[in-house]
Amino acid sequence: MKTRIKEFRARYNLTQEDLAKKVGVRRETIVFLEKGRYNPSLQLAHDVAKALKAKIEELFIF
Amino acid sequence: MKKNKTSKDKLRLMAIVILSLLLISTGTLFSLATFKKGDIAGGFLGIIIAISILGFALFVFIRGNRDLKEGYPLKDERSKKVIEKASSTAFYVSLYLLLAIGFFSDEVAKFRDVSQATSVAVGGMAILFLTFWMYYNKKGI
Repeated sequence: MKTRIKEFRARYNLTQEDLAKKVGVRRETIVFLEKGRYNPSLQLAHDVAKALKAKIEELFIF
Repeated sequence: MKKNKTSKDKLRLMAIVILSLLLISTGTLFSLATFKKGDIAGGFLGIIIAISILGFALFVFIRGNRDLKEGYPLKDERSKKVIEKASSTAFYVSLYLLLAIGFFSDEVAKFRDVSQATSVAVGGMAILFLTFWMYYNKKGI
């Protein structure tokens, strides 16, 4: 699974820490998500997409 | 809501500290009792286990406290999944460990009694859990 989280994060000038706090997860979770090494639940994918003002399918490429 | 979650996390951290203190006290008492029986190696093993628990508890407490201060949750979806996966794998592998203890207890290591063999098995499970937790936490699931 590939993700465009890093790209969207850069668009809003957000650090991994900022995004983690916005979503309510630990920073490592954002690191793993960006690297595509963790498949999030639909809830987490939705929360990340909402925080980055994007659609889930724009962020996560299966 | 977030404040409620933070206080829950603080309670969880306190519970970890209390449990660790209980484990350390048990380990120390076990070591003292073993030393009194004249089993020096067993006593040192108890001390090593107590120190390991102390080190791990300090690590968990310092990291947890820092994360809470910085506004991160103590646990999230991924960390819960890592714990679940590590514990299930440790349980599965420990079944083989128990079988191995049963088969080789007479040839490789002679146990004083059943309680000592059980302690080795439980300690082995704990070490396996820690190993798998570190592996899945690093590799990802």
